[in-house]
Amino acid sequence: MHATVRSVIEVASEGPADVCILDTEASPEHLSRGTAMYAEAMLLVVEPYFKSLETGRRMAALGVDLGLPRVVLVANKIRDERDLAAVRQFAEQHSLEIAGVIPFDPALNDAERAEIAPIDHDPESPMVLAVTEIARTFVDGGK
Amino acid sequence: MKLVIAGKGGSGKTSISGTLARVLARQGRRVLAIDADSNPNLSLTLGIPSERFNSVPTLPSNLLQRTSEGVQLSKTLDEIRSSHSLEGPDGVNLLVMAHPQHAGTG
Repeated sequence: MHATVRSVIEVASEGPADVCILDTEASPEHLSRGTAMYAEAMLLVVEPYFKSLETGRRMAALGVDLGLPRVVLVANKIRDERDLAAVRQFAEQHSLEIAGVIPFDPALNDAERAEIAPIDHDPESPMVLAVTEIARTFVDGGK
Repeated sequence: MKLVIAGKGGSGKTSISGTLARVLARQGRRVLAIDADSNPNLSLTLGIPSERFNSVPTLPSNLLQRTSEGVQLSKTLDEIRSSHSLEGPDGVNLLVMAHPQHAGTG
């Protein structure tokens, strides 16, 4: 099955307006089996605590080994300056780029419970605005 | 552009993937979102109801063909899009790799 995913990614996004987004398992096995091989960038979503950051770091190393041109962190569920400082410090220590910072958004739980997409639940929520910013700076700027 | 979004379970990667797909589609891009998680729930964060999600056929492994060039897809991406993807809000196409009840069989 992973070979299929890999081939689809390989042929996906032919034109400049095309974007292919692969939501994949966090496990190193998935990444090392080459699912991610043809991607141009890898965004590793991390939360501001050590285990999550450490997973992100390990996967970033795998992404680099796979030859992905850009491997970055996205700091998620950031509640305050201390959270942000923790992610920044970790990123700096391991020379990782932070492509975006997404604030903790309690409304996401409501959206999930109601089975509504975050962007439909509240298109102006801090989370949606932060993701829009990533689209602007990372996807547009990284073309 | 091809992006991989990964993270620990519960990190919020699927909410971010779905929202990023919708945001980019609203900006006029043609977005193909692929759910390659063994517990797929990208459809919900894209805004596709679970009933619709369960009705789409997952990608068969016979899509792959061995040729002298190596392994290739036996269909074009547009054919795969029309036969195996769901169109969601803002025109995002979702490709489903495995349904929960079939997880592990692929």
